[in-house]
Amino acid sequence: MDTAIETNNLVKRYGDVTAVDGLSLRVARGEIYAFLGLNGAGKTTTIRLLLGMVKPTSGEARVLGTRIRVGEKKPWDSVGYLVETPDAYPELSVRENLEAMRRLRPGIESKAVDGVIERLGLIAYADRRAGTLSHGNAQRLGLAKALLHNPELLILDEPSLGLDPAGIVEIRNLLIELAREQGVTVFMASHILGEVSRLAKRIGIIHQGQLLQELDVDELERNRWRRLVIRTRDNHAAHAVLLNAGFSADITSDGMIEIKDNAAIEQPDDIATRLVNAGHAPTMLHVEQEDLEHYFLRLIGMDGGNVK
Amino acid sequence: MNNITQAIWVEMLKARRSRMPLLTALGFSLLPLGGGFFMIVLKDPELARRVGLISAKAQITMGVADWPAYLRFLALANAMGGVILFGFIASWVFGREYSDRTVKDLLALPTSRSAIVFAKFVIVAVWSAALTVFIYLIGLGVGTAVALPPASADTFWQGTITIAISAGLTIALVTPIAFFASAGHGYLLPMGVVVLVMFLTQVIAMAGWGEYFPWSIPALYAQGGNLGTASYVIVILTSVAGIAGTLFWWELADQTH
Repeated sequence: MDTAIETNNLVKRYGDVTAVDGLSLRVARGEIYAFLGLNGAGKTTTIRLLLGMVKPTSGEARVLGTRIRVGEKKPWDSVGYLVETPDAYPELSVRENLEAMRRLRPGIESKAVDGVIERLGLIAYADRRAGTLSHGNAQRLGLAKALLHNPELLILDEPSLGLDPAGIVEIRNLLIELAREQGVTVFMASHILGEVSRLAKRIGIIHQGQLLQELDVDELERNRWRRLVIRTRDNHAAHAVLLNAGFSADITSDGMIEIKDNAAIEQPDDIATRLVNAGHAPTMLHVEQEDLEHYFLRLIGMDGGNVK
Repeated sequence: MNNITQAIWVEMLKARRSRMPLLTALGFSLLPLGGGFFMIVLKDPELARRVGLISAKAQITMGVADWPAYLRFLALANAMGGVILFGFIASWVFGREYSDRTVKDLLALPTSRSAIVFAKFVIVAVWSAALTVFIYLIGLGVGTAVALPPASADTFWQGTITIAISAGLTIALVTPIAFFASAGHGYLLPMGVVVLVMFLTQVIAMAGWGEYFPWSIPALYAQGGNLGTASYVIVILTSVAGIAGTLFWWELADQTH
């Protein structure tokens, strides 16, 4: 695999606090990789490690083939990034902030500033002082700084933060387009699985500094719990019918019948037929899929907000 | 270190767009104006008696109202006020990156961190030197306006050299302030250090050890003190330590802001 990002047993400790604990991951070139975790899970520290802003306690990180050390200079002309909040010089205009960044990235033509302003929908705000921008437009400016030099790799911390729904869709489409058409690798940290599942090809889930799971987005569908929920006029009788038929049916706390057997979930019409034949026709029958938020919380050991 | 000229351009843009140059110029312009007031007081004993305490202070500082005394006052005021004001400029140039949380955008660029730090030092030095020139020119205007007795070209030359060298020594001593602004992630720590330095300057100068305390040395020079080589070496070493510490911090310390 041609890797854009590679970490090997990366550890970062601040005193007694282990922010990143033995992180090993690979991000292929051209891939959109979502790095998912709660606040404080270690996402931003990982990003800072990848960008050479903090020293690893142990382990190593490689970005575009270069081993990252603090103060390392080599890969940065090919990397665009947005770390934590999208801060800018408040007294400079949007255009001046981007011009300052252009000057610090040698070799970029001056028209790139106008290009990225247009691309991020900042034309109306180009001459406005950055200190007066809304959160959403400040986020756009942060993304514009990251995209200014057409980088091979984008490392973005919560790229949708502060954007309105239309802005979220716009940025999502922009990142997908960059990956698909220009082969840009996107490594994005987020805490919203629902958002990243629409964008990323692979997802790494980090919790308390450790990588709990890496999965393809396709696997999300397979891994999420599904259940068949049934209601009849006599749920207890219907429950007995299903048990006799060999299904592991349960009565839920709200009095409905729940079946988690794949056979039932795949063929709910068969269950309906059995119940009708037994004289307990369903008044309601549907397949429920675990929502992404619940799935994420279950993965990290928190279910519905309660630690298991 | 690459791309230094562009880094200097960026620092210049940030300084120009802020209100800081105007505020520092306004603040510093009080020095020659205050000096001019002392000159008026010294020239007019009646007024001196009426204002009481201030005239007593003017007598202590300058003695007589003439160009040598006024230029010496400017050199001393620049050396002492510069510790505060130039320190304030260094605090802003370096500390604002932490206060505005913009430092992270400077850390993973093709332009090296050393180049950015160097550019910041250049801006601090140029800004401070420009303020010195500014108050010098105002001082010439004020001295002329209060009709100080004419002086020889040599007097002006000597006065100008004294102001330039004492300002140079003061500017050289802002580098540790830049380190404290970086390590302290903002303005608070460096400004605290400036206040502490001013306090120590007074105490150490009173104890008679001023020629060995870096921040006392420019003022002693401005007063025409007979400084040995050790004093200049101390200023140079302090300045180099400040530069090295700041570079070290930006290049090697964990940057979590």
